[in-house]
Amino acid sequence: MKNCKAILPLLSAAVLLLAFFRALAPEFLSGSNLLDLAQQISVNAILAFGMTLVILSGGIDLSVGALLALGGTAAAAVLPAGGFFAALAAGIGVGALFGLGNGLVAARTRIPPFIVTLATMLVARGCALRFNEGRPMGIALTQETFLALGNSRCAGVPLPAIFMVALFALGSGLLHRTRYGQHLYAMGGSREAARFTGIGVARVEVIAYVLCGALAGVAGLIQTAQLYSAEPASGQGFELNAIAAAAVGGASFKGGRGTMLGTLLGAIIIGILDKGLNQAGVHFSFQYMVKGAVILAAVGSDVWRRTETR
Amino acid sequence: MIPTVPSRINSHPMNRQPDLLPLARLKPFRFFRPLLLCSLITLMGCEKKSAPNAAAPARGRLFAVSFQTMNNPFFVDLNDGLKQVIEEHGDRLVTLDAQFSSLKQKNDLSDVIEQKPAAIFLNPVNWESVRGTLIAARNAKVPVIVVDAPVPDAELVLAQVASDNVEAGRLAAQALGEARPKARVAILQYSVNKACVDRVAGFTEVLGKRFPGVSILATQDVKGTSEATRPVMRDLLERFPDLDAVFPINDPGAIGCVSAIDAAGRSGKVLVVTVDGSREAAQFILNGGIHSTSAQFPKKIGSLAAGAAYDHLAGKPVDKEIKVPVTLVTKANAAEFVK
Repeated sequence: MKNCKAILPLLSAAVLLLAFFRALAPEFLSGSNLLDLAQQISVNAILAFGMTLVILSGGIDLSVGALLALGGTAAAAVLPAGGFFAALAAGIGVGALFGLGNGLVAARTRIPPFIVTLATMLVARGCALRFNEGRPMGIALTQETFLALGNSRCAGVPLPAIFMVALFALGSGLLHRTRYGQHLYAMGGSREAARFTGIGVARVEVIAYVLCGALAGVAGLIQTAQLYSAEPASGQGFELNAIAAAAVGGASFKGGRGTMLGTLLGAIIIGILDKGLNQAGVHFSFQYMVKGAVILAAVGSDVWRRTETR
Repeated sequence: MIPTVPSRINSHPMNRQPDLLPLARLKPFRFFRPLLLCSLITLMGCEKKSAPNAAAPARGRLFAVSFQTMNNPFFVDLNDGLKQVIEEHGDRLVTLDAQFSSLKQKNDLSDVIEQKPAAIFLNPVNWESVRGTLIAARNAKVPVIVVDAPVPDAELVLAQVASDNVEAGRLAAQALGEARPKARVAILQYSVNKACVDRVAGFTEVLGKRFPGVSILATQDVKGTSEATRPVMRDLLERFPDLDAVFPINDPGAIGCVSAIDAAGRSGKVLVVTVDGSREAAQFILNGGIHSTSAQFPKKIGSLAAGAAYDHLAGKPVDKEIKVPVTLVTKANAAEFVK
């Protein structure tokens, strides 16, 4: 119930934006356009789900963009010899592995997560650029199963959108139906208090980073399939989009506050904005300004509302 | 923090300053409301401006162009060329900046394809990653014209419009050979980029055919920027004391070379020939430093690409590959290029 109330402003913002762009272009709400929207936001939303876990723990993960590139290139490198499942394992595994590194260093040392993951971002980017001398690696058209990850549809719905919804459901379940979720919220609320109640905060934190890295790997697989190639240099700045989605969705950078539903809506709002501004023919220079203003307004109104009701 | 102050003074009610605390908490939010309002107004302002454009799709056909980056005067000029022709026809052009992200380019173009544009112009971030977009465009029956950088899936595009890069290389070689028939030259190539590979092919072809006296001392791979080229050129100058000519594949690279040559104290002894025709390079040609540059005409690429789109829409046949001529810029005509 409390959850619904927190979501309402986001929902109304999304509906308002849809109505606004519908007024500009009547075809904006067409089925194919909305399905296209779902496909477009999937990569950012999946990154943002992982980011939400890390933000809930009170941290931040700047390495997801580089891990997306590394996951994609690792999968593309393994695919020709190892086949579909080996490629999946490589893409997700390498993300999880770097996530584990992030988590262990962040949990065991006093180095701030911002710096830890900044370093990981550089290392992972360097690893990605080792593949094929930094050049894009094309996926052979015969790898139909792999390419289907990004391009085929199930009952008319693009597969990336289905993955996004499935991962959203899993993430929500993890946060609200499991002990791990409770511990994560408790730890983000107050690390000390959580420790005194006997929660293994280090373990909880490490798992959040591992999941975030693994999700970046999944996003890398989807992007690679969508583009028919893995790009070692891709994903630059994607971490900021993911952080923006989580922030618009109401995640607090102090930790302990935020939901998967909020983050999903945040990703949807940013996606509607991108699509709507493109289709309204707004010059790209204005698009940056509008996006910045909307992010500030969304997070600002959230902060404002909470201080009012306090 | 202030050890000289006894702690009991801090805890004294007169010194605790309890009134400031809520104020400090409130202040940012008092400031925030007008800020919020301002950002909303800005937002509305931006939207309103765009509204007449979008609200009247009947007024002219829609065209779109996606560039790998708009942070390059070459693409800004190319966009101008497209825009001029399209607006002369009473139609409108939407320009999209992919910011070097293939995924953004794909998403931007799928937004546009949903709107059934008359045609799309595409400057791919990289030629491997545009296949999905090309397939989507074909399924939606939207013709695609590639500008500047070629793509391998030629059967999926209507036409490719680019500078005649092989000719640009030939012109550079001719200028070099005529000035120094016995030159000992280094080539700084950028093998990832098809356009640059073509330039080097034209360059070596003419040297081999017409100037047997010229010898190629070294070929190195450099990303075509001043920053990347300068240290490589410095190393080459160290390694080859008799090096007296260089072919960096573009103007930014050439400017890096000039800087390296000056730093090595060999100004005027090493001949620089290059490709692009930028204002900066023309300046160097006038003032010394660069011998020649083969000028490209991005605006012309844009207007020819737009012309091809209109020919196709009018049912006329269109050449699959349109090469835009290049011109040699030397001291004789450099003044025209310093606009």
